[in-house]
Parts: sequence; structure tokens; C-alpha cells
Amino acid sequence: MFTEFFRFDLRQQLRSPLLWVAGLVFALLAFGATTSDVVQIGGALGNVHRNAPAVIVNFFVNFSVLGLFVVTFFVAQPLLRDFEMGTDELFFATPMRTRDYVAGRLAAGLVASLAIYIITGAGMILGSAMPWVDPQRVGTFSLAPHLWSLAVVVIPNLIFMAALLSLLAVTTRNLLSVYLGVIGFFVLYAASSYLARDIQYDAIVSVLDPFGARALERTMRYWSANESNTLLPALDRYLLINRVVWLGVAVALLAATFALFRPQRFRGGKQRRRDVAMAIPEPAGNRAYMTESASSAQSHAGASFGGSVPWRQLLHQLRFDTAGVLRGVPFLVLLAFGVANLIAGSFAVDDAYGTKVLPVTDTMLRVIDGSYAYLLVLIIGFYAGELVWRERSAKLAELTDALPIPNWVPLLGKVGALLCVVLVFMLLGVLTSMGVQLARGYTNLEPGLYLGGILIQCVPFMLMAVAAVVLQVISNNKAIGYLLYVLMMVVQIALPPLHFEHNLYNFSNAPQVPHSDMNGFGHFLSGWLWFESYWTIFAAVLVVIAAAFWVRGTAPSWRGRLRQARHGLSGRQGATLIVLVVAFVSVGAWIYYNTNVLNEYLPADVAMDRQARYEQSYRKYKDLPQPQIVAVKADVDIYPSQRRVEVRGHYDFVNTHAELLSEFHVLIDPRAKLTKVALAGADLVKDDPQVGYRIYKLRQPMQPGATMQMEFTVERMQRGFTNDGLPPDSNLGNSRSPLNDNGTFFNNMEMMPHFGYSESLQLVDRNERRKRGLGDVPRLPKLEDEKARDSIGFPDGNWIDFEATLSTSADQVALAPGYLQREWTQNGRRYFHYKMDRPMLPFFCFLSARWQVRRDEWNGVPIEIYYDAKHPYNVDRMIAGVKKSLDYFTVNFSPYQHKQVRILEFPGYARFAQSFANTIPYSERIGFIADLRKPEDVDYVFYVTAHEIAHQWWAHQVIGAGVQGQDMLSESLAQYSALMVMEKEYGRDRMRKFLKYELDRYLRDRGGELVEEMPLMRVEGQPYIHYQKGSLIFYRLREELGEERLNRALANFIRDKAYQHAPFTTSKEFLEYLRAETPPEKYALLDELFAKIVLYDNRVTDAKAQRRADGKYAVEIDVSAKKLQADGVGKETTLPIDDWMEVGVFARGEDGSEEKQKVLYLQKQHITPQTQKFAVVVDSEPYQVGLDPYNKLIDRNSDDNRKEVTVSAAN
Amino acid sequence: MLRIRNISKTYSNGVVALDNVSLEVGAGMFGLLGPNGAGKSSLMRTVATLQDPDSGGIDFDGLDVAANKEQVRRKLGYLPQDFGVYPKVSAQEMLDHFAVLKGFVQRQQRNEVVAALLQKVNLWEVRKRKLGTFSGGMRQRFGIAQALIGDPRLVIVDEPTAGLDPEERNRFLNLLAEIGEQVVVILSTHIVEDVTDLCPRMAIISKGRMLMSGKPHEAIAAMRERVWSKVVAKTALPEYQSRFEVLSTRLIAGQPLIHVYSERPPEEGFACVAPDLEDVYFRQLQYREATAPPAS
Repeated sequence: MFTEFFRFDLRQQLRSPLLWVAGLVFALLAFGATTSDVVQIGGALGNVHRNAPAVIVNFFVNFSVLGLFVVTFFVAQPLLRDFEMGTDELFFATPMRTRDYVAGRLAAGLVASLAIYIITGAGMILGSAMPWVDPQRVGTFSLAPHLWSLAVVVIPNLIFMAALLSLLAVTTRNLLSVYLGVIGFFVLYAASSYLARDIQYDAIVSVLDPFGARALERTMRYWSANESNTLLPALDRYLLINRVVWLGVAVALLAATFALFRPQRFRGGKQRRRDVAMAIPEPAGNRAYMTESASSAQSHAGASFGGSVPWRQLLHQLRFDTAGVLRGVPFLVLLAFGVANLIAGSFAVDDAYGTKVLPVTDTMLRVIDGSYAYLLVLIIGFYAGELVWRERSAKLAELTDALPIPNWVPLLGKVGALLCVVLVFMLLGVLTSMGVQLARGYTNLEPGLYLGGILIQCVPFMLMAVAAVVLQVISNNKAIGYLLYVLMMVVQIALPPLHFEHNLYNFSNAPQVPHSDMNGFGHFLSGWLWFESYWTIFAAVLVVIAAAFWVRGTAPSWRGRLRQARHGLSGRQGATLIVLVVAFVSVGAWIYYNTNVLNEYLPADVAMDRQARYEQSYRKYKDLPQPQIVAVKADVDIYPSQRRVEVRGHYDFVNTHAELLSEFHVLIDPRAKLTKVALAGADLVKDDPQVGYRIYKLRQPMQPGATMQMEFTVERMQRGFTNDGLPPDSNLGNSRSPLNDNGTFFNNMEMMPHFGYSESLQLVDRNERRKRGLGDVPRLPKLEDEKARDSIGFPDGNWIDFEATLSTSADQVALAPGYLQREWTQNGRRYFHYKMDRPMLPFFCFLSARWQVRRDEWNGVPIEIYYDAKHPYNVDRMIAGVKKSLDYFTVNFSPYQHKQVRILEFPGYARFAQSFANTIPYSERIGFIADLRKPEDVDYVFYVTAHEIAHQWWAHQVIGAGVQGQDMLSESLAQYSALMVMEKEYGRDRMRKFLKYELDRYLRDRGGELVEEMPLMRVEGQPYIHYQKGSLIFYRLREELGEERLNRALANFIRDKAYQHAPFTTSKEFLEYLRAETPPEKYALLDELFAKIVLYDNRVTDAKAQRRADGKYAVEIDVSAKKLQADGVGKETTLPIDDWMEVGVFARGEDGSEEKQKVLYLQKQHITPQTQKFAVVVDSEPYQVGLDPYNKLIDRNSDDNRKEVTVSAAN
Repeated sequence: MLRIRNISKTYSNGVVALDNVSLEVGAGMFGLLGPNGAGKSSLMRTVATLQDPDSGGIDFDGLDVAANKEQVRRKLGYLPQDFGVYPKVSAQEMLDHFAVLKGFVQRQQRNEVVAALLQKVNLWEVRKRKLGTFSGGMRQRFGIAQALIGDPRLVIVDEPTAGLDPEERNRFLNLLAEIGEQVVVILSTHIVEDVTDLCPRMAIISKGRMLMSGKPHEAIAAMRERVWSKVVAKTALPEYQSRFEVLSTRLIAGQPLIHVYSERPPEEGFACVAPDLEDVYFRQLQYREATAPPAS
């Protein structure tokens, strides 16, 4: 019997087009992900192969979660089919066993679902064999990862889902309810993932995830490229527990399914309606029609037509249909999902080190955009079909189609209803968001800002809604309508990555409009408005065409419909269409004029081609000696509202080389226009404005030691609007949108000319380079490259005199490094003259905005915080950070070289803080709105401030040569300095919390390394090394050497190297200073920390304690310690363990938390392969023991360093 | 006055739904009789502006229907054969919706029309109930209520009595008869009694062709003394069917009673019976099958 059910049902399933469509879609996605970077699913980046085992496993994990919705159909539908079709009584009247019936159908559903995944795998295998795939990104083919994924991930997940779904199906007997249950399950699943953001919960979460995704993530998160390419996850620990637990749950659910399956009809589902109908009492007595009143109804003539009537009918239709959607269960479910997601998202947004940001409206709008609004894609797609087909699926179309209304009334009614639904959905999002704000004690509600923000988010969705309805109308087939809608979205998403980036041909797209509390929607709004007007007109064109294709009654053939449409478009509708098309083309032309004539439209691939050409044409001049700038004077006129700036600059420069210079190579960011250059005795022989490269030939070569001057004028202004709105992020530390109405911020790299070829403008993406024949990614000069020590990475200078006069509009303040000499007003503009009293790095910035200022001072040094009126929250923390930092650094390192400290808020288009001489621009999104109300949270505002202040020493006093390890000397030392200031302020416990995040981030990011992981002293601009690993290494070093010795090394280093000229210092020299303070037995350690990549895997394997007669406890600890050395791609070799590590015993804290634990024993122990057992005696009852319990070592698995003690009573 | 002139319709799957159908219908009840799948609904839909014929045309009160759909719709009341409702909407709300779409945009006036119609079809007391809870008869009454909004001059009701119990059916037909006094009412049905009871004029349609049209009593009169009946043995039935033109077979206490068309007494044992419309109907259907061109 079972086999008959199985066989019959499998045949049904394999005939279902959905199976093949779903399989094909998944396979296409898999194929896309393996053959291009447009689809990103498995995480094949950098050195990770496109078909690496880890990629394949990740792929299957993602798809097994995604597949839940498809599987629902194959598993739940067969169980319900007979009840829905009414064939149930035919089946259950036969002498079969219901167990066979359920099991057979379930098994068939499982096999059918599995088929989808097999097809998906085939797509992946096929993809990696495609000839255009870069062979360097493909590993050797193996079927093992596929089989492993099917066995460990896909099949158990299918069984669990099938069990869950069949239980839902059996208990609700209704496919819609099953889908609702699935969505509900998904809500819980998604919401629970926000728990997982706090890394202290991830052990629990990884077991609780029914899909095993988090257990796998936990197993593979720190994998290096090499591991990803060669390993499959070990089926042990969390993964094994997870799989066993959920298979067990699945068995239980299945048992319940079999137990609860009832073949009898029950009072539910389809039956109910009839039953209720029976129960309605007919009106008492007279069942007859009230014929006497018949004629009175007939007398109600007075229906009216024409004029305003259709419009009133439209309004009515719109209200009627909107109400229909808003009452619908799918809408309500998606709304509930969205609200849950929005609330969870509001806690996670911009979270740093576990500290949240205040729910200011600007941030909440970003949460709505990221966690809520996207659901509209589903709502629009689904309800476009439902609304257009509403009458027809309710079998009402014959009635409504025969009504005396023009076609456009129902069409516009449905479009309008969908638009209303979009608005209502978004407004509910706003209400939720305001609720979140109030619940979190934030009361500055800004309805106006919300309105603007959601309108900007809504418009693209509204345009898509119009298109979705039109597609349904024109295709006149619900399924094809849905398909076209999906296709439309695929095209929308796929065009930009393929470098078809212009919004003129990407429906509903417009330049991004980022909001900033400082700058509002700023200048981004006008371009957006033009583009969205353009697409709105296009949508109107679509509607007019759809009205002509609107089907009433029986749909004629396509030829008939075309004839009808031609007829429909001949009259007034046709005229409307012509007017709209003319408007569309005109607005399009105006946009084109702005984006492509006034501005340059530069798709990313063309921009990269230019970068390649720049490198190919001019890299040959990289080592050409160029003069060094020694003094800069600048007049900078900022016109904030026009977004215009004019810089009139003056350079004094010197030939510091021993040879004659006969050519000057002048480079400028091509977006800035060099309108005047005065270089006496030099002729312009080459000008390449596209990349901003000029070559001047000197009539008389410049003598060694000679000084010359250059005068120049640079203009940069924004004319009209551009296609991309906010410029794409570049890694040059620029501010993305330098010129703003409120919050201008640019540096000299963006707006002033330079001497010599700059490597920082080269293309760095390995694959893009290969496509353009550029060879390997250029690397920093080696640490041993003595010649490279002549420069600090800026080709044309190191220490300069600086002076600038800034002007801006009357309501703003303009700032630059240096001290204010004079301030005056002239012609309605404000002028500020700044002058630096000592040489500084040739890296400076100019800012202008309307700020509030808070002033304070430290030992006579003025402190000024320039902040936006909306962001006063953490200004005091910044001031405290400045003071405490100055305290610590002046005592331990050297005096502060400047006479003032300034922090300046700039718009959150970019998220960083950056230290210039005595001037620190600080993004509004990196601390000004951090929520520091909970005392246990990491105060990262204080930390970032301390880090930036530390740069006044590390970079602005000591600057390393532009070779490997340069960033260690600036960033890692700034990290260390900030850690010390933070530890003084907040204590060691908080440091542990902070460093846990640093460790997690370091281990994670090294797996995503695109080129090669370097040891700390050879870091090549890799943030996860110079920030995160830097923190860990220096904190460890402090533990090993002690704060005093380490600080002495730093002070000596500064004493000898501060403000030095070429040759500049290096990390190698720095290590000599460390070595001088290090006892010889720790030289090896120093080497491991700085010159190698060393990882530990330490854990406690057993912990037992026995209460002794004297009341003390004898504790036995077994540990396992492992030390590994990794190479640049993560290949590991084991090192012999011979280390001193902390071993600790802890008593339970009163609330069970780690912070409250009492230390019973904490000693450094010498750990070797032989010594991995310890016995200690403690005074009170132990709770936990730990090996390296505070995670001071870089441990690949930091959570198993502690273990709870099994305590037994005294003998 | 409705004039249907030579309309034909072939669906894209090749089914010939209407084949050169012509008909004139004046004020009063007009019955359109035919078996399932005869093309009745296609004809009704075409008259109701819901599909265009491949050829031929329809005039209503001098208006060409295909070219003036909207004018015709203003005068039209249509109750399709199989219609649904929004199950979660109340009768009143739904009728109100239809009233707006039929041009009653003034609330006051619309409320009166809706109330009057709900009372007329005796749904006033259940007006607040969701349509999903209505029984078949109640739903049908709701259907006629919506068809009657705004004094239609042309009322088309397609198979309205299918599935109604006899009592409900009678009342429904009474209501139709009353409307039929002033306007054109086309009643399509496969139930012969509906036409017998109610329609002074009728047409029979089968396989897309018009078999006859005229007055029922004249058609019946034409068959007077030509219909014969006899109770025969079950086993002998095939033989009778081959020898005579058997119009219908019905079981009487388990024995077949056959009606035979014949101009003379066919055989011993046959009794001459008074013909009814059913005999006309079966005669027309069989005649159509036996001989190609239709009679009228």
C-alpha cells in the first residue's frame, strides 16, 4: 500500500511544473553565483574558490532555508489535496491504512523536494565548468561537498520541515493556514537571529537553529581561504548536537502527525461555509419576495453617467479594493513579520561592540528602509495579482464587467488601491518606529522627517506597484503576470552589477537620497525628483496602454486584443498617451543633459578602465624624483549652498634629491578642475584631464636643494545633478559627498594638486586587474626596502608649514588645521585665517557647517567640540575622552605638540573619524548618537575619541616610512593607547568585552582576505590586522611586559623618531625598542606576535573538584593546548606548545554572570605537551575553571576556554 | 427591441459556440432553451457586451451593441449563470458597491435604491451578513437584486433556477414575470418548465445553432396528435428506438414510458397524448441531429 501511494504521488509531483520551475530557478541562481559576481550566495570571495567545499555547503544551507516555501507546496499540498478537491471520501472509504497514505505521500513529497536540490547542485557543477570562469578561481572538482551537504544539511532539514509542515497540515487542514504557519515560523526564526548578534549567546543559538545554519556558521566563521577551499566542516560539537536535536524533533513531530491524522471530515475548512449557511434562519414568516414593493424599486431612476461620475466611482472602487487588501490575512501576516523585523532591526542598526545607537529618526528611517520596506516587494507582487484578478477569481467578473463604467475606472481603482496599501504599510512602519522610539525613552518625534523619508522610500515601490498591475492586465494571466513581475525585478537588480548603471533605463530607479541630520536630504533630492518624475510619467504611459488592453468578459485572442487596444487608443486616450510620451521624452532629455552633459556619466567599469589606463600610462614614472612640498598657503572659498569651492593655493617646494629635476608631474583628482597653474620656467607638455595627470617640462632643470614656487587655482562645483547621487565609496578616506549645503568636508587629496604618480589611485581588485591585463595587485614596498624609507607614502612631502584663509557663507563656520589668527566679515561672507605654528604632515582638511560649539580646556589647552544642534548627547563623553587621553599620553609618551584640540561633526554619508593636526572630523554616525545610557555597555565614543587623539602622537609625531608595517606604527599604536585610556576609565572587565569583539572580527575578516594575510609588523593596509589584531597583540604584550615597560619603549621610540625626516622609521626599528624592554626569554614570543601569524586552540577538557575535610577544595584541571602557525592564505602548521598561560579557578558570581565571579586562583602556568594537568587547592567552592580564561591569546575557539567544575563531596 | 443578426463565434480552441444565430426579442419574457453546452451562455455573454462575435451584430433599441457598449451597459441588468461573491463582504456593502458602479454616486439616492432592492428580494433582514454565509437561493436573490439596479431596459438571466428548490424557483420566476411586463427579459435555461410557465416567446438553441424560435403554444399546437406514448418492456427498448422516432424515455414504476413522434398511430398499444413543450424541445433536438439544416 505504501509503495502504491508513494509511486502514484511521486508521479504526480514529478509532473508538477512548480517542481521544475523551482529547480530551474535555484539552479540558475547557483549557476549565476558560480559563474559571476553578480549573484552572491555562497561567499566565494578573494582566494576562496567559486566551487570551494565551504562555498557549496553555504550555498545549500541558504537554499535549504529559502526552499522552505517551495517545500511547503510539495509536502503539505499532497496531504491536503484530497480534502481540498473533495476526493477525501473516495479515498477513506477504501480499506487502506491511513498510515500508508500519510507516509507514502510524505515520502513522495520529500523525494520531490530533494530533486530540486539535486538540480541546484547540478547548476553549480555546470557553472564551475564554464569556459569564461577564471580558472584561478576554480578548485578541483569533487562530488564530496555536494553529497556531504545533501546528507548533513539538506536531507535533515527537509525531514524537519516536512515534519513541521505535515503537522501543520494535519491540524489545520488548510493550505493557507500552513503557509501562515510557515511565515510565522520564519518570523520567529528571523527574530531569533537578532539574539545571535550578541556573541555571548551564540552557542545556544547555534543549537537552537533548526536549519543548522548557525551551527555551520559557527564552525566555519573563522576559516581561512585555504580551509574554505579544502575542508568540509567536522560533524562534531555544535553541528552534531544540532543535527541530532532537530532530527529528534522531526521524529516527534512526525509521530504527532500520524497520531493526529483523522481521515474524517471535521468541522473546518470548506465544510464550514455550508454549515453556517444552513444555520442562518431565513427571515421569519414570509419567504416570498415582497412583490408589492417591486414597482417602488423600479421608480428609482436617477442613475447618472458621464461628467464627474466615473471619478466618484473610481474613488469608491479604490476604497473598496484597499479595504479588501487591508483586511486580507496575507497582508496582516506580512505586516506582523515586518513589524517584528523592524523592532529587532532597531536594536541592531549601527551596533558597535554591542553598544546600540539612539533611535533618532534618521536612524529609524534607515531601519525602515533595511528591515521593513522590502516586504513591499512581496505585498505588491502578490496583491497586484489578487486585485487585478479579484473579480474574476470570485467569479464576479461577469457582473462587474457588464457594468456601465469606463475601463479606466477599475484599472485606476486597482492601481490606486495598491498605492494606498503601500502608503498604509509604510505609515504603519512609521507608527511602529515611533513606538520603538518612545519605548526606548526617546521622545523627539519628527513626523515631518518621517513623512519625507517614507515618501522617498515609497515612490520606487509605488512605481513597481503600477508596473505590477499593468503586467497583470496586459499578460491577462495571473501566473505569467507574476513571472513578468519577478523578471522585472531581476532586470532591475542585475543591470547595475553588469555596469548598466544609468537610471534612465532602469525602471523606477533614481539616485540614492541619503539622509543626514546635519544636511537633511540635501542636494540629493533634486536629482531624485527628476528621475522619479520621469519614471512616474512612464508609469502613467503604462497605465494608459493597460487601459486599452483591459479585458472585459471573455478575453479575445491576442490579435483581437491588439485591435481593441488600437481602437481604444484612437480617441482621447490616444491624445493623453501622446502628451505623456512627449513629457517622458522631455524630462528624460533634461535628465540626460544633467547627468551626461553637465556632468559625466561614469559607470564603474569605465571608471576602472580609466584607473587601468592611468596605471598603464604613468606607473613608469613612479620612481621619477619629484620635488617635495615644504609650505602650503591656501585661500579657500566655500560656497555651501551652491556646492562650489575655489582654492587658490601656493606651494613652496624643494628639490631634496641629489640630481637635477627636469620634469614636474602634477596630479589632481579629475573631479576638481585645475584652472590655473603658475610654474615659472616650466612648460606644459602633457595634459590628461581624464585622469588628472599633467607633465611640465622645465626649461632650466631644478638644482638639488633649490626652492621653487607654484601658484594654482582649483575649482570644483556641482552643476545640475548626477546619475549616482552619493558617489560610491572609495578607500581613499574621502568623505563621499565633499560639498554639502551644511557639512562641507574635503581634504587636500581631493582638491589640490600633487607632485608625482600616486599608487593610491590604482585599481586594487584582483579580478578586475586581471581582466584589464594589469598583473598582480601592487603591494607596499617590503619592510627591508631601504630606498622606500625616503617617503611616508605621500610622494611629494612630509613636513610642511601650513596656512589657510577660508571663507564661507555668513551663517557657517569654516575650519582647517592650525590656529585662528583672525576672523572677519566681508561682502556678506565670513573669513577665517588659520596658521599652524609648526611643521605638520602634508595632509589637511577644510570644513564648513552650521555648528553648535562646546568649549572646555585641559591644562590650558582649549578643547572645542563642533556638533550639530540635533546631536548634543555624547559631547561630554568626547570631552572626557580628550582630557583623559591627553593625561595619559603626555605622562607616558611625550608632550602634546599642539595648542588646541578640535572635534568636528560631519554628515553621515561616510562613517569614520580621522585625525588631522589638532583637528578631528568625526562622522555624525560614529558616536554622536551612540546610546551610552547603559553603564555596562562599551563606551565606544570614548574609545574612538581616545584613538583619534592618540593619532596626534602616532602619525602626527612619529610617522613610519611608506613600507609594510606603516599602519602598525599609526593604527595599532593608537589602538593600544586608546585601550589604556579606556581601561583606566572603565576597568579590565569592560576591556574583556571589547577585546572579544576585536578577536571575533579579526578571526572573521582574515577568512575574507583577498590577497594575503600579513604578520602584524608587515601589515599592508589591512584594517583587520592593524586595528583588531593590533589591539589583541598589544594588549597581550602589555600583559607580558607590563604597562610601564611597554610605555617606556614607546616613549623612547617617540623621543628618537618624532618629527624625523627621511629615512623614516619602520616597524622593524620599533621592534628594537620593544626588544630593549623585553626579557630575553620572551624574544621568541615577540617574534610570534609581530613577525608570525600564530593562533591558539586552547580548551579545558575536564574539571573536577573534591571537598576536603578541612573545607577546602582540591581541583583537578585537564587542558588541551594547541599552537598553530598560519601562512598568508591560512595554511596551518602546528608549533610545539611551550607557553606560559593563565590557569584560573572561579567561584560562582551572585547572579551567575562572569563579571561577578570571584577569582579563587589565577596563575600563569607553563604549558607544554607534557604538562596539561593541574591540581590546585582553593578555599571555597569552585564553579568554573579556565585555561587562558580571559582570552588574552588569539584563540580560534575562545568559548571553550572555561568549563564548569564537577564538584563531589568529601570522602 | 433586441435584434440579433447572424452572429457566429468560434473559440480559440476550435469550439463553435455560435453558428449564424439570428433572433428578434421584444418586450416581455423571452425563453432561451437548450441543453448544456448549447451556446446559450455564449449568446447571453455576447448580448451582455462581454464578448464580441466573430461576425454578425446585435442592436438594442437601435444601438449597435459592439460599438456602444457603454450605452448598452447603462440599460443592462445581467445575472450570469455562475457567479461568485466576496465571501467576507456583507450583502448591503456589496450591493452598494454595484450601485455606485451603476451610476448611483449620490449617497442618499443610492441608499434608497439599495434598501428597496434588498426588500424586494427579501434580503433586508440579512443585509448585514457576509455573503459567504448565504445559501444558494439567497445568493441567487442577491444576484437578481444587483441585476435590477437602475431600471434596466434589458435583463439577461442565465440559468437562474438551477439548483433552487421548487418553492424558491417559483418565487424567483414570479419576480421575473413581473419585471418582464415592461422590459426585455431573456431567460436562458435548460429546464423546459421555466419556459412553459413564463415565456410568451421562446427559442431553442443547440450546438450553437438556432433550432426554432416562436411562441411556445404555437409550437405545441403544431405537434398536436403526433405524439404517442406507450409503456414498453426494458428489453424491447432498443428495438423501439430503431423503429420509431422516440422523443423521450421515462421510467414509470420501473418500466420505460416512451414518447414517439409520428404523424400516424405508430403501432398497436400506443396512445395519443397531448404534446407539451418538452416534446417540442426533444423533437427539435432530434430533428437537428437527423437533418442538417435547422427548421424554424
